[in-house]
Amino acid sequence: MIERYNIVNNRYLLKDLGVLKHHLAKYYSVVQIQKDADGEKLWTEQFGDKIEPLFGHNHLPLTSPKGFLFAEKEVLYKFDGETFKTILPQVQPKVMFGVQACDLSAIAYQDKFFEHDPYYQKRRENILLVGIDCESPCVTGFCVQVDAGPHVKDNTADLVLSRLNVDDANGSSEWLVIAATEKGINSIKGMTLDKADNKHLKLRTKLLEKVRSEFVDYSYISNAIEYLNNNSVPAQLWEELSVRCLGCSGCTNLCPTCSCYTTYDVVEQQPEKPVSISREVKLEVTKSETIRCWDSCLFEGFQKEASGHNPSQKAAQRVERFWFHKFSDEYLPEFQRYGCVGCGRCEQTCPGTIGVHSVMKRIDQQCCS
Amino acid sequence: MSQTQVNSICPFCGVGCGIALVASDNNITAVQPLSKHPISQGKLCAKGWNTPFGINHHDRLTQPLMKVDGEFRVVSWKHALSHIAENLKQFICESGPQSVGLISSARATNEDNYAAQKFARAVLKTNNIDHCARICHSPTVAGLKKTLGSGAMTNSIDDVGKADVILVIGADPTENHAIIGGKIMKAKLRGAKLIVVDPRQTRLAKVADLHLQLNIGTNIALLNGLLNIIFAHGWQNDEFIARRCEGADALKAHVADYTVEKVSVITGVDGADLVKAAKLYSQANAAFLAYGMGITQFVSGTNNVIAVSNLALICGQIGREGTGINPLRGQNNVQGACDMGCLPNVYPDYQSANDEQVRSKFSRAWQTEVARLPGLTSLGMSHQARHGNFRGLLIFGEDPVVTDPDRNKVAQGLRAMDLLVVIELSMTETAKMADIVLPAASFAEKRGTFTNCERRVQLIHKAVSPPGEAKIDWQILSELAKEMGFPELMNWQTSEQVFDEMCKLTDSFSGMSYPRLKQNNGLQWPCNNEYPDGSRCLHSTTFPIGKGKLIPVYHVLTDEVPDAEYPYWFTTMRLHFHYGCGSMTRQSPLLERETPIGLLFIHPQDALDLGLKNHQGVTVSSRRGCVETRIEFSNQVSPGLLSMPYHFKEAPSNFLTNDAMDPITEMPELKVCAVNIIPLPENQPPRSSVLSDAGSRVSQ
Amino acid sequence: MLQLTPQTIRIVDVYDDGSHARHFTFEPKGFVHDNPISIGQFFMLTLPGVGLAPFTYTSIPDKTGRFNALIRNVGHLTEKLFSLGKGDVLGYNGPFGRGWPVGLIKHKEVLIVAGGCGLAPVAATIDYLINNGYSKSVTLLYATRDSASQVLKKERTRWSSSIKLIETLEVGGDSDHSGLPTQYLSHLLNKDDQYPDIVLTCGPEAMMMAVANSCVDLGLKTSDIWMSIERRMRCGVGLCGHCYVANSYACQQGPTYRYDEYLALESKTVAFEKDKVLFQYC
Ligand SMILES: Cc1cc2nc3c(=O)[nH]c(=O)nc-3n(C[C@H](O)[C@H](O)[C@H](O)COP(=O)(O)OP(=O)(O)OC[C@H]3O[C@@H](n4cnc5c(N)ncnc54)[C@H](O)[C@@H]3O)c2cc1C
Ligand code: SF4
Ligand code: SF4
Ligand code: SF4
Ligand code: FES
Repeated sequence: MIERYNIVNNRYLLKDLGVLKHHLAKYYSVVQIQKDADGEKLWTEQFGDKIEPLFGHNHLPLTSPKGFLFAEKEVLYKFDGETFKTILPQVQPKVMFGVQACDLSAIAYQDKFFEHDPYYQKRRENILLVGIDCESPCVTGFCVQVDAGPHVKDNTADLVLSRLNVDDANGSSEWLVIAATEKGINSIKGMTLDKADNKHLKLRTKLLEKVRSEFVDYSYISNAIEYLNNNSVPAQLWEELSVRCLGCSGCTNLCPTCSCYTTYDVVEQQPEKPVSISREVKLEVTKSETIRCWDSCLFEGFQKEASGHNPSQKAAQRVERFWFHKFSDEYLPEFQRYGCVGCGRCEQTCPGTIGVHSVMKRIDQQCCS
Repeated sequence: MSQTQVNSICPFCGVGCGIALVASDNNITAVQPLSKHPISQGKLCAKGWNTPFGINHHDRLTQPLMKVDGEFRVVSWKHALSHIAENLKQFICESGPQSVGLISSARATNEDNYAAQKFARAVLKTNNIDHCARICHSPTVAGLKKTLGSGAMTNSIDDVGKADVILVIGADPTENHAIIGGKIMKAKLRGAKLIVVDPRQTRLAKVADLHLQLNIGTNIALLNGLLNIIFAHGWQNDEFIARRCEGADALKAHVADYTVEKVSVITGVDGADLVKAAKLYSQANAAFLAYGMGITQFVSGTNNVIAVSNLALICGQIGREGTGINPLRGQNNVQGACDMGCLPNVYPDYQSANDEQVRSKFSRAWQTEVARLPGLTSLGMSHQARHGNFRGLLIFGEDPVVTDPDRNKVAQGLRAMDLLVVIELSMTETAKMADIVLPAASFAEKRGTFTNCERRVQLIHKAVSPPGEAKIDWQILSELAKEMGFPELMNWQTSEQVFDEMCKLTDSFSGMSYPRLKQNNGLQWPCNNEYPDGSRCLHSTTFPIGKGKLIPVYHVLTDEVPDAEYPYWFTTMRLHFHYGCGSMTRQSPLLERETPIGLLFIHPQDALDLGLKNHQGVTVSSRRGCVETRIEFSNQVSPGLLSMPYHFKEAPSNFLTNDAMDPITEMPELKVCAVNIIPLPENQPPRSSVLSDAGSRVSQ
Repeated sequence: MLQLTPQTIRIVDVYDDGSHARHFTFEPKGFVHDNPISIGQFFMLTLPGVGLAPFTYTSIPDKTGRFNALIRNVGHLTEKLFSLGKGDVLGYNGPFGRGWPVGLIKHKEVLIVAGGCGLAPVAATIDYLINNGYSKSVTLLYATRDSASQVLKKERTRWSSSIKLIETLEVGGDSDHSGLPTQYLSHLLNKDDQYPDIVLTCGPEAMMMAVANSCVDLGLKTSDIWMSIERRMRCGVGLCGHCYVANSYACQQGPTYRYDEYLALESKTVAFEKDKVLFQYC
């Protein structure tokens, strides 16, 4: 594992986050959450500083920032007729400004999973993570249950921002800035910042307790995790739930820790032959590229073999697989945490209403009775 | 390499889910669902998620092509357009405007469709303008026009959540309109009762409270039976009938014939279940009725629609929230293509082309003569071409060779034309037969509007530039109009100008504009002085024709029934993962992988009887043709019934389907015919029916 | 960092075997195998413009680096591969996964049960045992659908003089040797003198499971049975996620699994009633 987080804990105070953002924008292109006219929140790469950052409230976008590290679609290598050539992504330094705790936990998880993946790491090395403590629970999030939030977890961000107080009267606030890594410290070099002290850290802890207490009772999730792990969820329940899986891949696409991909080849058009009339891939074709794109274990074809044999033929097997991957203790030795970081996105996107809350509730109800 | 996001609408089905297109380097790299979208609310189906593969595929057309000696050559736009214009002018001059026409696309924007019908009527002076609704929902338009006066979905998708009974007839919404299907399943979780009427055991049927698995083609018998039960028990809504309907007595007398016993025999549905269904639907506070192509694709399609309408009217399940008659339309903008008047008999907003007043209104607005003679449907054009009376056709983004019934005749028709121009994204089977192929811009490459099945007009935005020299349909038509000698007629600069022109000439759209659509996240027509914010629910106080008409209809046999020679029922279906002719969805490696090995679904018992193994190759034949494919065991079909998806050019189901037509709408009976199957030797793979090369027009 | 980009190999020889299979000999182009390859491991073969797929080495690389694979024509990629010939250039990544437990099988009574093309992944093992003088203790039970689908004829002829070779056919065999391999097994394992210490099996998954279960019924320990599990694979290095077996990846912890390990993995997830299919040989 690359040592990314040399635990340094430099703490500062800041009145205006814009100052920090402008400072970082000198060295990084800024990616942050923005709201469009309909109120839709999206992670957007922006240039200049037209739009002010969204901070402090319930702003978890439906789409996680996963795609900035593990691209939806990317070329792996090209074949020029003779040899294969690796195509690493061309990336410039980016700062992800204002990532919530759950997504940061997910990035830390993927950092482990993709530790040896050159494409992921090329993108990752160029990203500075600026985390932000959540100030209130979000609609479907349950980070507390899976130890991923609501405040930024240690060793998951380069800089951590935490709002200590809000003065609604004049709209100003005071921010605690924690530089948690070497990279974080370097990123704020040249800024004049006041030092924070233990009092401020204590205040952060107090606020954390307050936010934690605002979460509704999600104990059915903890219960269901237990049932899942002692294998007491009956096959019948999975069968019932899986009738509702439409195989849309929404859950895996939006889940910030999902990492499965497939590859496919594209034949490069030869310039002298601008139109290919036949769709058949001709074998004399000399140039091609291999692309990888996100895949989903909920697709029936995910494990289907050429012989027609399919180890996960049944939708019930596939649905169970997803939840096994998110909540099984078997993964703890490798990742030291569950695959689920409690963002609740699968619940929001599942057209069949079998996202995390629906499934865990059903399991809890069925298994406790 | 920076990344941009642009809001748009999913280009696949009529649900019209919201998506953000993520682009970098002029490439769509991803889509993101939109949680604030009024319909999809953060959800998408597999097709929606795979949108990027459909747009960027590597074999997009980028330059105009002209066939010379059986081979396509790249030509300039100027050359292609002037060639087309010269030919069209010559045909009109020699054979009259009846000899030329357009088939526009239910995938194109409203602006493109408006331009297409305007080009036909004002430039070519013909009403020969059509689109693919013929093979989806023309019986809906015809049937509901008769009974209510308007052929659109009466309520909104959201109403699913407000109903306490949901009745789904001949539709497979979890596969074809997944987001609506999902809402239905959710409503069921919440406690709504779900009744499914379908010969196949669809996913919804599995979760339904009641599945009436009727014999294929017995919809009218079943619906009349339900009516009879309702009248017999006095479950009808007398107050509503008295106030809003006419013809109830005649209908009541007519359906008295359809006794439970008789209907039970015809449909194969248990009598007690019929009574349960009748009670649930009629006694509900709000019952939402949805239907699909399992109602329309029959020779009795229009009558099926009327029977559905009778049921809703008798029970008063219309005109309120959570109720309604709700046809689930297939393609993303089939509603818009109809609304825009891409039908031979109507101008935009269903203004009759036979009405002299309407014609002179448009003639005045456009400052030119418009077509006078009645127009031909697409099948009519193909038919006339085979008889040498139809010479020049422009087809926009449709692949009739793959999707139309009886493709042999379609291919013959196209081959018989003197000029076939296809405007497409990629080299489809139909495009291969064309004389000229023009490269079109995809939905991600233009601005415009789509109208979803709940009449919501929604804006799409340009996320990337068209590849090479590809152009937007309305731009192509505008330039072609100039070549034809109409420099001013269609001289728009932006799609907004096209839209504004359309709104001025219609009532239902008169309250719309791009800024208003943006502000309101789309608007549902009618949107006019009376309903400035659009209409969630139609017919709340009155029907466009005044009182709703109750029209008695008879159960008739389907055109073909199994016999000794062709002993199996055969029906067509759609797969969740594919759409239309597959030209977009099959570009996705993920969706392509989902395709089952076998494309002919057969009940395991039938297979056992025939000694067939799963995935074995077979020849399926009907009176019209045969295809080779593999079988796939499925419990969704009952014994005696075979079912085949229609997306695959390797095994085109329309080699087999019947083109016997609904007399009113010329809707072919795609949903049912009789076939036989003969096993291929065990290790012999089926032969694909793909046209071999571009040069030869069709090989059979 | 992992290298996902393939190295280049060239086809230097091809010949047909059985009705749908073909032997390919590959030669590295401009690289030497940097990891020792053990028998039972596999590699990923890339056809530019078509895709990639995993195949087992039927022989481990010789001094010049050449190696063989026996490939059956089953689908999209393999069909394209069959249209190639000597001199054509392909991509290669490997070796991947865990091979057969060769260290454990010397000096043991070894029973190998192979089905259809499943013979290919054990071929190198058999050669290894013979070449190192352990052959007296080897029994090979080779099961196929019919005689046309038998592969590795040359090798079987060669082996038949040094090991005990039994062939069964689902259709067309004589009364002793017809039907499923499991039927023959009970027959075989009832004789005390041939009681194996270790069983290796390779073939359709349903066959391997049936064989393993029969062996257990006949008194073998699950820890004495090894099998090669086939999964769809997209990377070979534990990234693409396709080859999962519970929380293991077949491309890393497999494709060779000890039966007890495999059962332990299986027991971590819910057992679903499978739709009943009799196995089909490839
Ligand atoms: C560890 C291992 C070793 C194998 N060894 C051999 C061998 O020695 N000889 C042999 O003939 N076959 C072997 N196979 C099976 C072989 O990989 C498949 O037959 C082959 O992938 C079929 O590809 P296709 O494109 O022709 O089939 P299609 O069905 O057309 O496959 C479509 C796509 O799916 C992929 N695919 C399908 N099945 C598999 C699969 N099992 N694994 C990975 N990708 C798949 C293919 O790459 C292809 O791109 C092995 C499989 C595994 C997992
Ligand atoms: S499983 Fe659902 S809630 Fe958990 S991290 Fe993934 S998307 Fe979020
Ligand atoms: S989001 Fe729901 S329907 Fe879609 S693949 Fe996941 S579980 Fe299935
Ligand atoms: S339901 Fe229809 S509109 Fe929605 S994502 Fe699927 S295809 Fe697109
Ligand atoms: S083949 Fe990719 S994880 Fe095993």
